[in-house]
Amino acid sequence: MFLNAVILVLQEILEASLLLSLFLLLTALQREPLALGARWRAAWVPLSIVLGVLGSWGFAALTPVVSAWFDYVGQEVVNAAFQIVTIALLLTLGYAWRGAGEASFLARGGGMICLIVIVTLAITREGSEIILYTQGIMGQREVLTSVLSGATVAIGIGVSCGVLLYYILRNLNDRRALRVVALLLAFFSGNMAMQAVLLLNQADWLPYTAELWDSSALLPENTVLGQLLYALIGYEATPSLAQLLAYALACAAFMLTPLFRRAWARGEIQGE
Amino acid sequence: MRKFYLLPCWLLSAPLWAATPEFELVIRDHLFFPSTLEVPAGVKVRLMVDNQDETPEEFESYELNREKVIPGNSRTAIFIGPLKPGEYPFFGEFYPKTAQGRVIAK
Repeated sequence: MFLNAVILVLQEILEASLLLSLFLLLTALQREPLALGARWRAAWVPLSIVLGVLGSWGFAALTPVVSAWFDYVGQEVVNAAFQIVTIALLLTLGYAWRGAGEASFLARGGGMICLIVIVTLAITREGSEIILYTQGIMGQREVLTSVLSGATVAIGIGVSCGVLLYYILRNLNDRRALRVVALLLAFFSGNMAMQAVLLLNQADWLPYTAELWDSSALLPENTVLGQLLYALIGYEATPSLAQLLAYALACAAFMLTPLFRRAWARGEIQGE
Repeated sequence: MRKFYLLPCWLLSAPLWAATPEFELVIRDHLFFPSTLEVPAGVKVRLMVDNQDETPEEFESYELNREKVIPGNSRTAIFIGPLKPGEYPFFGEFYPKTAQGRVIAK
Protein backbone atom coordinates (compact mmCIF):
# COMPACT_ATOMS: atom_id res chain seq x y z
CA MET A 1 0.00 0.00 0.00
CA PHE A 2 2.93 2.31 0.79
CA LEU A 3 4.48 2.10 -2.69
CA ASN A 4 1.07 2.19 -4.29
CA ALA A 5 0.30 5.43 -2.46
CA VAL A 6 3.69 6.89 -3.44
CA ILE A 7 3.10 6.22 -7.14
CA LEU A 8 -0.53 7.34 -7.11
CA VAL A 9 0.06 10.63 -5.33
CA LEU A 10 3.33 11.28 -7.19
CA GLN A 11 1.51 10.91 -10.49
CA GLU A 12 -0.81 13.72 -9.45
CA ILE A 13 1.72 16.03 -7.78
CA LEU A 14 4.55 15.93 -10.34
CA GLU A 15 2.75 17.50 -13.25
CA ALA A 16 1.58 20.54 -11.29
CA SER A 17 4.92 20.87 -9.53
CA LEU A 18 6.99 20.81 -12.73
CA LEU A 19 4.57 23.17 -14.48
CA LEU A 20 4.77 25.66 -11.63
CA SER A 21 8.59 25.47 -11.79
CA LEU A 22 8.60 26.16 -15.52
CA PHE A 23 6.34 29.18 -15.08
CA LEU A 24 8.42 30.51 -12.18
CA LEU A 25 11.51 30.20 -14.37
CA LEU A 26 9.75 31.88 -17.27
CA THR A 27 8.65 34.82 -15.14
CA ALA A 28 12.10 35.10 -13.54
CA LEU A 29 13.97 34.95 -16.86
CA GLN A 30 11.59 37.10 -18.88
CA ARG A 31 10.04 39.73 -16.73
CA GLU A 32 9.21 42.35 -19.32
CA PRO A 33 6.86 40.55 -21.73
CA LEU A 34 4.57 39.73 -18.84
CA ALA A 35 4.92 43.20 -17.32
CA LEU A 36 4.67 41.69 -13.87
CA GLY A 37 4.42 44.34 -11.20
CA ALA A 38 6.05 43.55 -7.86
CA ARG A 39 2.65 42.84 -6.34
CA TRP A 40 1.69 40.31 -9.01
CA ARG A 41 5.09 38.69 -8.92
CA ALA A 42 4.54 37.91 -5.27
CA ALA A 43 0.89 36.98 -5.56
CA TRP A 44 0.25 34.88 -8.65
CA VAL A 45 1.71 31.63 -7.30
CA PRO A 46 -0.12 31.55 -3.94
CA LEU A 47 -3.27 32.76 -5.70
CA SER A 48 -3.12 29.90 -8.25
CA ILE A 49 -2.47 27.35 -5.50
CA VAL A 50 -5.41 28.57 -3.39
CA LEU A 51 -7.72 28.59 -6.43
CA GLY A 52 -6.43 25.13 -7.40
CA VAL A 53 -7.09 23.68 -3.94
CA LEU A 54 -10.62 25.18 -3.92
CA GLY A 55 -11.12 23.83 -7.44
CA SER A 56 -9.97 20.38 -6.32
CA TRP A 57 -12.53 20.26 -3.51
CA GLY A 58 -15.27 21.49 -5.79
CA PHE A 59 -14.39 19.09 -8.60
CA ALA A 60 -14.05 16.12 -6.23
CA ALA A 61 -17.45 16.92 -4.70
CA LEU A 62 -19.02 17.21 -8.17
CA THR A 63 -17.46 13.99 -9.53
CA PRO A 64 -20.56 11.83 -8.89
CA VAL A 65 -22.67 14.33 -10.87
CA VAL A 66 -20.13 14.90 -13.65
CA SER A 67 -19.59 11.16 -13.94
CA ALA A 68 -23.14 10.62 -15.19
CA TRP A 69 -22.95 13.31 -17.89
CA PHE A 70 -22.83 12.37 -21.59
CA ASP A 71 -24.01 8.83 -20.91
CA TYR A 72 -21.49 8.16 -18.11
CA VAL A 73 -18.36 9.58 -19.73
CA GLY A 74 -18.60 13.08 -18.22
CA GLN A 75 -15.31 12.81 -16.32
CA GLU A 76 -13.34 12.06 -19.47
CA VAL A 77 -15.02 14.85 -21.42
CA VAL A 78 -14.57 17.47 -18.68
CA ASN A 79 -10.93 16.50 -18.04
CA ALA A 80 -10.16 16.54 -21.75
CA ALA A 81 -11.82 19.99 -21.95
CA PHE A 82 -9.53 21.21 -19.12
CA GLN A 83 -6.55 19.95 -21.09
CA ILE A 84 -7.68 21.54 -24.33
CA VAL A 85 -8.23 24.86 -22.55
CA THR A 86 -4.72 24.51 -21.06
CA ILE A 87 -3.20 24.02 -24.52
CA ALA A 88 -5.18 26.99 -25.88
CA LEU A 89 -3.92 29.22 -23.04
CA LEU A 90 -0.32 28.04 -23.45
CA LEU A 91 -0.51 28.85 -27.16
CA THR A 92 -2.11 32.23 -26.39
CA LEU A 93 0.76 32.97 -24.02
CA GLY A 94 3.29 31.87 -26.64
CA TYR A 95 1.75 33.73 -29.56
CA ALA A 96 1.18 36.94 -27.60
CA TRP A 97 4.82 37.00 -26.49
CA ARG A 98 6.45 40.34 -27.33
CA GLY A 99 9.66 42.12 -26.52
CA ALA A 100 10.09 44.60 -23.67
CA GLY A 101 8.13 47.80 -23.86
CA GLU A 102 5.77 46.66 -26.61
CA ALA A 103 2.17 47.25 -25.60
CA SER A 104 0.50 43.87 -25.76
CA PHE A 105 -2.23 41.61 -24.56
CA LEU A 106 0.22 40.14 -22.04
CA ALA A 107 1.22 43.52 -20.62
CA ARG A 108 -2.43 44.35 -19.98
CA GLY A 109 -2.76 41.39 -17.64
CA GLY A 110 -3.63 38.69 -20.16
CA GLY A 111 -0.40 36.80 -19.51
CA MET A 112 -1.05 36.78 -15.78
CA ILE A 113 -4.52 35.36 -16.31
CA CYS A 114 -3.11 32.64 -18.59
CA LEU A 115 -0.56 31.60 -15.96
CA ILE A 116 -3.09 31.59 -13.12
CA VAL A 117 -5.76 29.66 -15.05
CA ILE A 118 -3.28 27.04 -16.35
CA VAL A 119 -1.85 26.33 -12.89
CA THR A 120 -5.32 26.38 -11.28
CA LEU A 121 -6.62 23.85 -13.81
CA ALA A 122 -3.56 21.59 -13.33
CA ILE A 123 -4.00 21.58 -9.55
CA THR A 124 -7.77 21.08 -9.87
CA ARG A 125 -7.40 18.02 -12.11
CA GLU A 126 -4.67 16.42 -10.03
CA GLY A 127 -5.81 17.55 -6.59
CA SER A 128 -9.36 16.24 -6.98
CA GLU A 129 -7.95 12.74 -7.64
CA ILE A 130 -5.89 12.90 -4.46
CA ILE A 131 -8.98 13.99 -2.49
CA LEU A 132 -11.06 11.12 -3.92
CA TYR A 133 -8.21 8.71 -3.15
CA THR A 134 -8.03 9.94 0.44
CA GLN A 135 -11.80 9.50 0.79
CA GLY A 136 -11.46 6.05 -0.74
CA ILE A 137 -8.92 4.76 1.76
CA MET A 138 -10.30 6.45 4.88
CA GLY A 139 -12.34 3.34 5.65
CA GLN A 140 -9.27 1.10 5.90
CA ARG A 141 -7.70 1.81 9.28
CA GLU A 142 -5.07 -0.90 8.91
CA VAL A 143 -3.48 0.71 5.85
CA LEU A 144 -4.06 4.35 6.79
CA THR A 145 -0.58 4.85 8.24
CA SER A 146 1.23 3.37 5.26
CA VAL A 147 -0.94 5.30 2.80
CA LEU A 148 -0.47 8.59 4.63
CA SER A 149 3.29 8.09 4.89
CA GLY A 150 3.37 7.09 1.21
CA ALA A 151 1.45 10.21 0.29
CA THR A 152 3.81 12.36 2.37
CA VAL A 153 6.86 10.82 0.68
CA ALA A 154 5.24 11.40 -2.72
CA ILE A 155 4.51 15.05 -1.94
CA GLY A 156 8.13 15.36 -0.82
CA ILE A 157 9.49 13.79 -4.03
CA GLY A 158 7.07 15.75 -6.23
CA VAL A 159 7.85 19.13 -4.70
CA SER A 160 11.61 18.33 -4.63
CA CYS A 161 11.60 17.52 -8.34
CA GLY A 162 10.00 20.88 -9.05
CA VAL A 163 12.47 22.73 -6.81
CA LEU A 164 15.39 20.77 -8.28
CA LEU A 165 14.33 21.57 -11.84
CA TYR A 166 14.05 25.24 -10.89
CA TYR A 167 17.51 25.47 -9.36
CA ILE A 168 19.26 23.35 -11.99
CA LEU A 169 17.92 25.63 -14.72
CA ARG A 170 18.46 28.79 -12.67
CA ASN A 171 22.14 27.87 -12.42
CA LEU A 172 22.53 27.59 -16.17
CA ASN A 173 23.06 30.85 -17.96
CA ASP A 174 19.75 32.60 -18.62
CA ARG A 175 19.83 31.97 -22.33
CA ARG A 176 20.20 28.21 -22.00
CA ALA A 177 17.67 28.07 -19.17
CA LEU A 178 15.09 29.87 -21.29
CA ARG A 179 15.67 27.40 -24.13
CA VAL A 180 15.07 24.44 -21.84
CA VAL A 181 11.96 26.08 -20.34
CA ALA A 182 10.54 26.76 -23.81
CA LEU A 183 11.29 23.20 -24.91
CA LEU A 184 9.68 21.68 -21.81
CA LEU A 185 6.59 23.88 -22.30
CA ALA A 186 6.34 22.55 -25.87
CA PHE A 187 6.55 18.96 -24.53
CA PHE A 188 3.96 19.87 -21.91
CA SER A 189 1.56 21.06 -24.62
CA GLY A 190 2.14 17.78 -26.48
CA ASN A 191 1.55 15.80 -23.31
CA MET A 192 -1.76 17.58 -22.63
CA ALA A 193 -2.95 16.90 -26.20
CA MET A 194 -1.95 13.24 -25.92
CA GLN A 195 -3.77 12.81 -22.61
CA ALA A 196 -6.88 14.51 -23.99
CA VAL A 197 -6.92 12.07 -26.92
CA LEU A 198 -6.58 9.10 -24.57
CA LEU A 199 -9.51 10.36 -22.47
CA LEU A 200 -11.68 10.95 -25.53
CA ASN A 201 -10.83 7.43 -26.76
CA GLN A 202 -11.88 6.05 -23.39
CA ALA A 203 -15.15 8.00 -23.71
CA ASP A 204 -15.63 6.74 -27.29
CA TRP A 205 -15.74 10.32 -28.57
CA LEU A 206 -12.73 9.63 -30.78
CA PRO A 207 -12.30 6.46 -32.82
CA TYR A 208 -9.75 3.81 -31.92
CA THR A 209 -6.38 3.99 -33.64
CA ALA A 210 -3.67 1.34 -33.60
CA GLU A 211 -1.20 1.11 -30.74
CA LEU A 212 2.23 2.04 -32.10
CA TRP A 213 4.58 0.33 -29.68
CA ASP A 214 4.78 -1.20 -26.21
CA SER A 215 7.78 -0.15 -24.13
CA SER A 216 6.20 -1.21 -20.83
CA ALA A 217 8.76 -4.01 -20.40
CA LEU A 218 11.61 -1.54 -20.92
CA LEU A 219 10.24 1.29 -18.78
CA PRO A 220 6.91 0.71 -17.01
CA GLU A 221 4.74 3.76 -16.34
CA ASN A 222 4.11 2.71 -12.75
CA THR A 223 7.65 3.50 -11.54
CA VAL A 224 9.07 6.74 -10.18
CA LEU A 225 11.19 7.21 -13.32
CA GLY A 226 8.21 6.40 -15.54
CA GLN A 227 6.08 8.96 -13.70
CA LEU A 228 8.82 11.59 -13.87
CA LEU A 229 9.23 11.14 -17.61
CA TYR A 230 5.45 11.12 -18.01
CA ALA A 231 5.17 14.48 -16.26
CA LEU A 232 8.26 15.97 -17.95
CA ILE A 233 7.89 14.89 -21.58
CA GLY A 234 4.63 12.89 -21.63
CA TYR A 235 6.15 9.40 -21.65
CA GLU A 236 3.55 6.78 -22.51
CA ALA A 237 4.42 3.07 -22.74
CA THR A 238 1.66 2.19 -25.22
CA PRO A 239 0.77 5.24 -27.31
CA SER A 240 -1.75 5.07 -30.14
CA LEU A 241 -1.33 6.68 -33.54
CA ALA A 242 -3.87 9.41 -32.69
CA GLN A 243 -2.08 10.16 -29.41
CA LEU A 244 1.28 10.53 -31.14
CA LEU A 245 -0.22 12.78 -33.84
CA ALA A 246 -1.89 14.99 -31.23
CA TYR A 247 1.39 15.20 -29.32
CA ALA A 248 3.35 16.18 -32.42
CA LEU A 249 0.75 18.73 -33.48
CA ALA A 250 0.47 20.54 -30.12
CA CYS A 251 4.24 20.41 -29.62
CA ALA A 252 4.85 21.87 -33.09
CA ALA A 253 2.19 24.56 -32.56
CA PHE A 254 4.02 25.73 -29.45
CA MET A 255 7.38 25.60 -31.23
CA LEU A 256 6.05 28.09 -33.79
CA THR A 257 5.16 30.69 -31.13
CA PRO A 258 7.27 33.84 -30.75
CA LEU A 259 8.03 32.74 -27.18
CA PHE A 260 9.72 29.56 -28.42
CA ARG A 261 11.29 31.12 -31.48
CA ARG A 262 12.78 34.02 -29.52
CA ALA A 263 14.17 31.62 -26.93
CA TRP A 264 15.85 29.53 -29.64
CA ALA A 265 16.89 32.42 -31.89
CA ARG A 266 20.57 33.12 -32.41
CA GLY A 267 22.05 36.14 -30.69
CA GLU A 268 20.97 37.80 -27.46
CA ILE A 269 17.72 36.89 -25.80
CA GLN A 270 15.20 39.49 -26.76
CA GLY A 271 12.86 40.96 -24.25
CA GLU A 272 15.48 41.05 -21.47
CA MET B 1 -21.52 7.61 -59.15
CA ARG B 2 -24.28 6.26 -56.98
CA LYS B 3 -21.77 4.41 -54.82
CA PHE B 4 -20.15 7.67 -53.80
CA TYR B 5 -23.45 9.07 -52.57
CA LEU B 6 -23.96 5.98 -50.50
CA LEU B 7 -20.52 6.05 -48.91
CA PRO B 8 -21.24 8.78 -46.34
CA CYS B 9 -24.53 7.09 -45.45
CA TRP B 10 -22.73 3.84 -44.95
CA LEU B 11 -20.06 5.50 -42.77
CA LEU B 12 -22.68 7.21 -40.65
CA SER B 13 -24.82 4.17 -40.17
CA ALA B 14 -21.96 1.73 -39.55
CA PRO B 15 -21.86 2.44 -35.80
CA LEU B 16 -25.60 1.81 -35.64
CA TRP B 17 -25.57 -1.69 -36.96
CA ALA B 18 -22.38 -2.64 -35.18
CA ALA B 19 -23.83 -2.03 -31.70
CA THR B 20 -21.10 -1.92 -29.07
CA PRO B 21 -21.36 -4.96 -26.80
CA GLU B 22 -21.81 -4.00 -23.16
CA PHE B 23 -20.53 -5.79 -20.06
CA GLU B 24 -21.41 -5.13 -16.46
CA LEU B 25 -18.79 -5.03 -13.71
CA VAL B 26 -19.83 -4.61 -10.07
CA ILE B 27 -17.63 -3.36 -7.23
CA ARG B 28 -18.82 -4.59 -3.83
CA ASP B 29 -16.79 -4.80 -0.60
CA HIS B 30 -13.75 -3.70 -2.65
CA LEU B 31 -14.01 -6.73 -4.94
CA PHE B 32 -14.81 -6.93 -8.62
CA PHE B 33 -17.74 -9.14 -9.74
CA PRO B 34 -17.12 -10.96 -11.99
CA SER B 35 -13.36 -10.94 -11.47
CA THR B 36 -12.85 -12.56 -14.86
CA LEU B 37 -14.66 -10.94 -17.73
CA GLU B 38 -14.72 -12.59 -21.13
CA VAL B 39 -15.15 -10.18 -24.02
CA PRO B 40 -15.00 -10.62 -27.79
CA ALA B 41 -11.61 -9.81 -29.32
CA GLY B 42 -11.32 -7.32 -32.17
CA VAL B 43 -14.30 -5.15 -31.26
CA LYS B 44 -14.82 -2.14 -29.04
CA VAL B 45 -16.55 -2.99 -25.77
CA ARG B 46 -18.38 -0.80 -23.26
CA LEU B 47 -17.79 -1.71 -19.62
CA MET B 48 -20.47 -0.45 -17.26
CA VAL B 49 -18.89 -0.31 -13.81
CA ASP B 50 -21.29 -0.17 -10.88
CA ASN B 51 -19.60 0.82 -7.62
CA GLN B 52 -21.93 -0.33 -4.84
CA ASP B 53 -19.50 0.60 -2.07
CA GLU B 54 -19.75 3.87 -0.15
CA THR B 55 -16.15 4.74 -1.03
CA PRO B 56 -14.69 5.76 -4.40
CA GLU B 57 -12.56 3.29 -6.34
CA GLU B 58 -10.26 3.73 -9.29
CA PHE B 59 -10.43 1.28 -12.16
CA GLU B 60 -6.86 0.97 -13.38
CA SER B 61 -5.21 -1.18 -16.01
CA TYR B 62 -1.81 -0.57 -17.54
CA GLU B 63 -2.47 -3.31 -20.11
CA LEU B 64 -5.75 -1.74 -21.24
CA ASN B 65 -4.28 1.78 -20.83
CA ARG B 66 -7.31 2.86 -18.81
CA GLU B 67 -7.86 4.61 -15.51
CA LYS B 68 -10.99 6.12 -14.08
CA VAL B 69 -12.26 7.08 -10.66
CA ILE B 70 -15.71 5.73 -9.85
CA PRO B 71 -17.34 7.62 -6.95
CA GLY B 72 -19.11 5.64 -4.23
CA ASN B 73 -22.64 4.40 -5.04
CA SER B 74 -22.45 5.35 -8.69
CA ARG B 75 -22.16 3.92 -12.18
CA THR B 76 -19.78 4.79 -14.95
CA ALA B 77 -18.86 3.70 -18.46
CA ILE B 78 -15.40 2.78 -19.76
CA PHE B 79 -14.82 1.92 -23.41
CA ILE B 80 -12.04 -0.59 -24.09
CA GLY B 81 -10.56 -2.23 -27.15
CA PRO B 82 -10.68 -3.41 -29.87
CA LEU B 83 -8.41 -5.91 -28.10
CA LYS B 84 -6.11 -8.57 -29.48
CA PRO B 85 -6.89 -12.01 -28.02
CA GLY B 86 -5.24 -12.30 -24.62
CA GLU B 87 -5.43 -11.51 -20.93
CA TYR B 88 -5.59 -7.96 -19.57
CA PRO B 89 -5.35 -7.58 -15.78
CA PHE B 90 -7.07 -4.66 -14.06
CA PHE B 91 -7.29 -3.59 -10.43
CA GLY B 92 -8.89 -1.09 -8.10
CA GLU B 93 -6.10 1.34 -7.40
CA PHE B 94 -7.54 2.37 -4.04
CA TYR B 95 -7.86 -1.24 -2.84
CA PRO B 96 -5.25 -3.06 -4.94
CA LYS B 97 -4.89 -5.99 -2.50
CA THR B 98 -8.46 -7.20 -2.94
CA ALA B 99 -9.89 -5.48 -6.00
CA GLN B 100 -8.27 -7.51 -8.78
CA GLY B 101 -9.64 -8.79 -12.03
CA ARG B 102 -8.85 -9.54 -15.63
CA VAL B 103 -10.43 -9.13 -19.02
CA ILE B 104 -10.00 -12.07 -21.35
CA ALA B 105 -10.41 -11.21 -25.01
CA LYS B 106 -11.32 -14.22 -27.16
